[in-house]
Amino acid sequence: MSGRVRTRVDRGTGEVVAYSDAAVRNNLAVIEYCRTSMAALSGGTAGLLGLTGLYGFLFFLVAGLVLWLLLLVKAGNRWQRFFVSRQSLLTSGIFSGLFTYILCWTFLYGMVHVY
Amino acid sequence: MAELLLDSDIRIWVFLPIVLITFLCGILRHYVSVLISTQKKVDLTQLQDSQAMIRSRMLRENGKYIPEQSFLMRRHFFNNDESGYLKTVKRASAPQPMTDPNMMVEMLKGQLTNMLPMIAIGGWINWTFSGFVTTKVPFPLTLRFKPMLQRGIELVSLDASWVSSASWYFLNVFGLRSIYTLVLGENNAADQARIMEDQMSGAAMAMPQDPKAAFKAEWEALEIADHKWALKDVECDLLQKAEVDYLVNSQSFVNSS
Amino acid sequence: MATLDLDWEDVREQLRTWREDNTRHSEEVVDMWDYCLKHYKHKLGDERWMVEEQVVVAGLDCYRLDVAEPSLVALNDQFPGSLRVRKLKAMRLEALERFDEAMDIYDSIIRQDETNSTARKRKVSVLRGQGRITEAIKELTEYLKIFMSDSEAWQELCDLYLKEADYSKAAFCMEELILTNPHNHLFHTRYAEIKYTQGGLDNMEIARSYFSQAAKLNPNNVRALYGLFMSCTQVLSSSKMSGPKKKETQQLATWALKEISDRYSKCRTNTMDGSKILETFKSLSIMDKA
Repeated sequence: MSGRVRTRVDRGTGEVVAYSDAAVRNNLAVIEYCRTSMAALSGGTAGLLGLTGLYGFLFFLVAGLVLWLLLLVKAGNRWQRFFVSRQSLLTSGIFSGLFTYILCWTFLYGMVHVY
Repeated sequence: MAELLLDSDIRIWVFLPIVLITFLCGILRHYVSVLISTQKKVDLTQLQDSQAMIRSRMLRENGKYIPEQSFLMRRHFFNNDESGYLKTVKRASAPQPMTDPNMMVEMLKGQLTNMLPMIAIGGWINWTFSGFVTTKVPFPLTLRFKPMLQRGIELVSLDASWVSSASWYFLNVFGLRSIYTLVLGENNAADQARIMEDQMSGAAMAMPQDPKAAFKAEWEALEIADHKWALKDVECDLLQKAEVDYLVNSQSFVNSS
Repeated sequence: MATLDLDWEDVREQLRTWREDNTRHSEEVVDMWDYCLKHYKHKLGDERWMVEEQVVVAGLDCYRLDVAEPSLVALNDQFPGSLRVRKLKAMRLEALERFDEAMDIYDSIIRQDETNSTARKRKVSVLRGQGRITEAIKELTEYLKIFMSDSEAWQELCDLYLKEADYSKAAFCMEELILTNPHNHLFHTRYAEIKYTQGGLDNMEIARSYFSQAAKLNPNNVRALYGLFMSCTQVLSSSKMSGPKKKETQQLATWALKEISDRYSKCRTNTMDGSKILETFKSLSIMDKA
């Protein structure tokens, strides 16, 4: 099912870009999946390593950045074929990810280092 | 700051059980809501309305691709004062949620699966595991967080990063949400079937609650939509592009020879 | 039995893709089911029933009742009273050319669930199968009054009108399709062809625009290029236009002709010799000059 096709005027070149709504939505769902997995895994890692305070949050940012880079590498230089914007790939859903991260972090930190 | 030493039995009998209970309850809640939710019944007029809205929106967005005559004809069909679709079709205004028993049942079901278990289990956990300091968040917090994280423990001297059992439960409730999408969204044969069904019976079922207001809004939007034929200069474009192509090609030919 | 030359998981994936893309591939589906997946149906889990449905439809398409019927029986045992299964039963009756009985079943489905769009569409196809085109058109317009953003139905209606040679109405349907997806070059080509067939200067100019649009959207659309050339010559021959516009049309015609001959001269292979076609075009362009 191709879904609806939407158009958008590219700001840089002024050209009309057509994209399939359903496909873009599907891509975003996949990205969300990656992001949640990454947050959970990196939270677990941070907890196991016993990172505290600012280091933990820095680790989260680094993990997010690494995920972004990995996604860009995966998409190659044809990223425009898959996503509308590169920036939103990095920033969207950062807070829900943070919540998951903190939970996993606290959980494993508590399991390993507190008792 | 004095480090607290917690009994490791707390880890096995309080800390872990809370995580497990919240997680499993979430899963259970998901399946229960799948079980008791009924397939939403749409009636024919509602369907017709939503389809008309989609078509009219399409006309507004893509009307520039058809000749002006055709565009005007379609707009006439929707907007004409005497016989226009958006003008003549009379629909009841939004049904009041409280008077419609079906709606009430639907709402009750939502409440039942969402709020009730959370409160019940929260209460139960508060009662069973009350008074335990379970864990410590790995980052320093200000005193303001004390009431949030140390519910059920009234110790002034305790550092704010320690978490009580009840608060640990709430942290779990909020934090596990995205984990659920991870776990439950992975294997969704049932969900896929439902999406297929929706596609078959006409793309978007979502209809605004009040067809009358929606029709009015659509009528206004369509009324001010004017027609600018997108194909007006297409021949010129094509020729220009052809010329550019030709130039580029001959250039490369010259270069290569 | 040649059972194991295909991996059943690959086959399942393939069938799923086809299901999601709404493409039929009936013969392949029947073969895959017959040679491979039939032996693994207990492994499919809940997906089994969707596959069986797909197989029934495919089997009926190819008139392989021996494939369709067991699956239909299985579906019927699993979901007694389901509307979807009843629709499949009616489709079987259609395949057996027992149209009236099929029609009764569809009517009963609609009575039970009046929002069921597939049953209504099947009714149209029954009428079409019997060659009762005008009745099919009537039924389909009734359907479109309710489900007016169903592009598949508009496409079918366009087809039916073309069968009846009712070009202005067919053009209307095509416009509707262009509205739903203005980036599909095939819709533009078809619309231009209808306009071209209708004839008259105005229609010819519209046809020229839409052929150009199709050629712009997909430069490899030779049908559109050819149509562009034809419509340009028609416009040139039938009107007394002002200078620059006439020149533009002429340019467009020569450009289209050049594009086509380029394409044909590129595919000068053993199986497809473009030279004959090129000769024809040469004669056409001479006519153009004269």
